[in-house]
Amino acid sequence: MEPKPAKTSMVNRGLFSMRPVVAQIDRQTILLLGVFVALVAFFGFTRDTFLTERSITSMAFQLPEIGVLALAMMIPILTGGINLSVNAISNLGAVLAGLFLVKLVPQEVVSAQPALYVLLAFSIVLVIGVVTGIINGLLVGYIGVPPILATLATMTFFTGISTGLTGGKTVTGFPDQVGYIGSESFLTIPIPFIIFVLVTVLTYILLFQTSFGFKTRMMGSNPTASMFSGVNNRTVIMRVYIVSGIFAAITGILVMSRTMSAAIEYGSTTYVLLTILICVLAYIVPGFGNVFNMFLAVLILQVISTGFHMVLLGVRGSSFFKDFSWGVLMILIFIINYFMRGKKAQE
Amino acid sequence: MLNKILKTNEFIVFMILVGLSIVVGAINPAFFSLATLFDTLRGSIVYFIMAFGLLPIMISGGVDISFVAIAAVSSYATHMFLISRGYQGGVFLYFVIACVIGILMGLLNGILVTRFKLPVFDVSLATYTMWFGFNLFFIGATANFDLPKGTIGYYANFLLTVKDPFAGTTGLHESILYVIAIGLFMWWFLKYTTIGRGVYAIGGNRDVAIRSGFPVNRIMLIIFGIMGFMSAIAGVTMAFLSRNFNPVIFINQPLDVLAAIILGGAAITGGRGTVVGTTLGVLLIQVINRALILTGIPVEWQRLVVGVILILFTSIPALRERRMKRIGHTTEITQPG
Repeated sequence: MEPKPAKTSMVNRGLFSMRPVVAQIDRQTILLLGVFVALVAFFGFTRDTFLTERSITSMAFQLPEIGVLALAMMIPILTGGINLSVNAISNLGAVLAGLFLVKLVPQEVVSAQPALYVLLAFSIVLVIGVVTGIINGLLVGYIGVPPILATLATMTFFTGISTGLTGGKTVTGFPDQVGYIGSESFLTIPIPFIIFVLVTVLTYILLFQTSFGFKTRMMGSNPTASMFSGVNNRTVIMRVYIVSGIFAAITGILVMSRTMSAAIEYGSTTYVLLTILICVLAYIVPGFGNVFNMFLAVLILQVISTGFHMVLLGVRGSSFFKDFSWGVLMILIFIINYFMRGKKAQE
Repeated sequence: MLNKILKTNEFIVFMILVGLSIVVGAINPAFFSLATLFDTLRGSIVYFIMAFGLLPIMISGGVDISFVAIAAVSSYATHMFLISRGYQGGVFLYFVIACVIGILMGLLNGILVTRFKLPVFDVSLATYTMWFGFNLFFIGATANFDLPKGTIGYYANFLLTVKDPFAGTTGLHESILYVIAIGLFMWWFLKYTTIGRGVYAIGGNRDVAIRSGFPVNRIMLIIFGIMGFMSAIAGVTMAFLSRNFNPVIFINQPLDVLAAIILGGAAITGGRGTVVGTTLGVLLIQVINRALILTGIPVEWQRLVVGVILILFTSIPALRERRMKRIGHTTEITQPG
């Protein structure tokens, strides 16, 4: 669309020469790594069951959903936007794919060639990701609605479609092949976790090794400057929301496959806020963000969730303690950040 | 002068509200009745109060979602404390204790924002998560229907009552008076006090506000205190109107209140917003909700209709603004400092 300026490729080469993986380690990484190790050590010492294969495997099955969803949230935040509709997108994709498998295609046809139809259903989810991304991109980039409002509206809209089509009921009765991704392991590593790692690596490549990523970050740090440097801000925004939609759709596939159902309210508002919380923990700000920190932040939240669940087993309302500790941890990290970065960086 | 009024955002929202009411009334004449009016107002009361409390924060350029957690903790903790003491008196003590708790909780946000120079949204997300977890784990996880004797009749303290063939006896609840008082206070505060003008100055340009000599940190603390105070009133009022104290009251509502304020013309980037606009925004959302029921749209499709309406209502002002200013998008929601 736009001519490829020579500058972009120079920047890319510059990034490569910076030994990119090392460049991904910053102060926040060290802080998060410290918190992670401390938490694992704490829970490992207090509960024998924490560092067992069984609990680690169960954590590795649980965290990819929220992890991929957090990456879907991260990319719009890098541009100075936000995508509140991520969870609505993943539920809409799962519901439509579920209705396709259960209602649209006759059961005999599906059971004759289950693998084919399951693949078709998963591609429907991804297509939904693209379409919803285009709607968000149009509203934010072309019409100019503030992202928080635009995606709040589309969140209601997308949930509205899935509510209307299902009448609020959960879609179930999928062929067994749907559950393959969510329940199987490859070389003892759960497949959802492998997908999470792949999406994380993909996000890294997209953000730090392509001209799209460079433009995304540049637009985030200064939209006016990026516009005057010849970047078409609108197309960047459009692509950002499409990528976000696709990642949200991948979460939809993971949820659908693990729970063997598609529910309109799965995750609901909690998931949206949790993804923002992860981005805040990882210190994602417009223009600057670190994929490795995102990965660590997801791990930390899962460790807290599982850890306190084990420590407080049998205590009334123990699952709520993790919410409390997430909030406290976040405030502590803010304060530590403030002293680590010094006043200058905060201005 | 008249031309100026016609061009304001408030007037556009008002026209949308009137237009929507006429359409709904044409489809179902039951919409034009005192019962519907009182019912709409009753449903709006707590949203008015929360929206007024949140408005100064929005004008100063911050987006807060923790106000719902403040409402939940201040009302629920007050109730559990008083019930455990065997309190049998009226509602007044509830409001006093809850407001003190609310102000302190609001100030915590304010201190984190001003002392550690953190973005309002990030802090509020942390305190939202923390306070709801705190309420559910440390105080209680179930709704409590056990009200003190002195408060039992409170939900039916009507100023006026009407008998309606559809809705039965309904009335205008006395808490609408708090809404009017709070609305007038906020209008005066934002328009005629130095602190109120400072709120707009901070939202317009923080650095300029500092250079102009506004005590920015003190102003931020004051408006966070106000937010906590209002949230506590909203929480206690809601609990008494619905006759139970719920630890997760409003947990899914922060975005609804934000949407109402923004529909009312407040800019999410700060510097703009009025009490009148906010009032209209809250009413608009409530009328849309009532309209969906009265026009006979099937329940399962109502959310879709709300979504379409929200998309339209957010796009129209954006298109208008786009004509004036043609530069990319900026929402400094997670920008530090």
